[in-house]
Amino acid sequence: MIIAAAPLVLAVAACGAFVLRKRLRIVGPFSLVAIAVALALVLLSPLDTTATLLDLELRASGLGRLASSVILATLFLLLLDVWLDEPAYNFFPTALAVGATSLGVLVLTAPLAIFGLLVLGLLLPVGSFTFQVHRNRSVEAATRHFGFVALGGCLGIAALALAASLPHEQPANTFVLLVVVLVVAFALLLAAIPFHTHAALLAGEVPPAALALYFGVLVPTTFIAFVEILTLSGLLPAIVQVVKVQDLLHGIGLTSAIGGAFLASGAPDLRRLVVYSMISNLGAALVGIATLSGPGIIGALASVIVTGASASGQLLAAGTLERRSSPERPIARKAPLAALAFVVGGFAMIGAPPLLGFPGRFFMELIAYQFAPLTGAALVLATLLLIVGQLRAVLALFGQGVERWFIEPRPVAGIIGAVIFVALLIGGIQPDGFLRPIASFADEFLRALRPL
Amino acid sequence: MIPLGIVALATLAANGSRQLRYSAVALLGVSLAANVVTAGQLSVSQLAVEGCGALVACGEDPGWRLWLATIVAAAATAACFATLRTASSETVTVPLIGEDPSGVTAQVAAFWLISSGVAILVTARTPVRGSLGAILMITGVELLVRLLTVPQLGLSLLLGWVEVVIALAGGFLIVNERVVREN
Repeated sequence: MIIAAAPLVLAVAACGAFVLRKRLRIVGPFSLVAIAVALALVLLSPLDTTATLLDLELRASGLGRLASSVILATLFLLLLDVWLDEPAYNFFPTALAVGATSLGVLVLTAPLAIFGLLVLGLLLPVGSFTFQVHRNRSVEAATRHFGFVALGGCLGIAALALAASLPHEQPANTFVLLVVVLVVAFALLLAAIPFHTHAALLAGEVPPAALALYFGVLVPTTFIAFVEILTLSGLLPAIVQVVKVQDLLHGIGLTSAIGGAFLASGAPDLRRLVVYSMISNLGAALVGIATLSGPGIIGALASVIVTGASASGQLLAAGTLERRSSPERPIARKAPLAALAFVVGGFAMIGAPPLLGFPGRFFMELIAYQFAPLTGAALVLATLLLIVGQLRAVLALFGQGVERWFIEPRPVAGIIGAVIFVALLIGGIQPDGFLRPIASFADEFLRALRPL
Repeated sequence: MIPLGIVALATLAANGSRQLRYSAVALLGVSLAANVVTAGQLSVSQLAVEGCGALVACGEDPGWRLWLATIVAAAATAACFATLRTASSETVTVPLIGEDPSGVTAQVAAFWLISSGVAILVTARTPVRGSLGAILMITGVELLVRLLTVPQLGLSLLLGWVEVVIALAGGFLIVNERVVREN
């Protein structure tokens, strides 16, 4: 039962935080303690053990532990920022509930249950998106997010249910159709450019912490769930047999990678730069998965986990810079530490060495070249465009110079950015511990691809 | 067959309703009829979970007419059933009332609800229509999942929660949208 303990603790804590949500002095520390307890439970849980809860089988895997630890650490930093710097009372129960669903997704083994819990998690932030409803148009963004999640979620669960119930003598085209529906469903849930038209609206209107919760925690969880569902559902052999499905994944991935990078290179503000960079990296990761190779899968998962953490740091820094510089454009002079945090977060987003983002991007681009030179060139072009976008942001922030270097009052976002940077630097110098559980999962994926 | 007809008519009523109270009654009809379709395969605990989800869902959904969505849904239902049905090609008996051992009625109802939900969601501009489409879709998904030989208790509980959260989030958005309009 220790496997289920961490998500259950967070679920109970979310109910407690909901009751206490208007007492900020209590709910902040309460939420942080709950996250710390959950993290301890995740780390104490022995690997490769199984358990059953409500007839559903659970499993503690290496990838699950790694992703859970990163997600909980990110949530801890987000809650700390909201508690100390940007009080939003409805964020605490939402973040804890999102943590519970994310951890649940990472321990479940039934594809239908994984998908159901994922949809639940993606619907939860709707409340935090519409905070301060009188000051922005976030209701529209939240409504679009709600529609996309409901549509993608229901289509995906229905496709999985039909795939599980179809007799084996069905024509291969039927399975292909279901895989296509599943891929489209995930494209709706993920920030994939062809479908995710509300990303720009979310980036512009939603509070930074809620945005970081979505792009830093839920989007990486969705991506991992996608790969796990492919592995566990038994649909992978059908994908191998029909090249069209692989081409579809490639098409969505490349469109997102190039389209997101183009938009990032000309992004009008810091938040949009982060969101479009995230979309581009997700697209590149989809290309990595579409290669159906070990390095591609390792690179994709490593890249998505690192991108989520660095996007969270950048979004918090962007929020601080906007608040301190308002009503003018954000500049480093108003909050130098937050500006530095934004810049170093950008290094991780582009996969610059020696940070932890580098191995993942290197694997993806290497295998993409091996798969098709044009695909590899497209991913390199996307990286170059992201560098242009991040450099433009540096110029915008520091272009007027900083008269006097000082640590701004309440430098929460700056410190959080520094913590994330140090963690990524240490991980980049010693990437073995980070990549090993992902490699172990990649083995499982490849075994499911070609069953004996 | 009769519960299937009720599902179809109630969906049309929910889609075409202009007032919250009629839409709520229609959605309750959809939920009850959908449960009757598969009632023979459900345990009491599953029925309780589904019933609670449906009751919560019903309180939140007004709607307005969009018959184009209905026509698209009807075409999509036929296409889905022709392509994706799991019932074998042998002769299938479809009783007017009573159990549906082959699952054909449940599958048609599920495809109809999912197709209607997709059509409504794709054309939705407001949270009201979005919530309506989402609830219809999740009800159809629940019907499909019940036909599987998988752990039903955990999945029913999970999908029941998804339905409740869809209803609550939809209601929250509707209230917020009205606040924005009034200001």
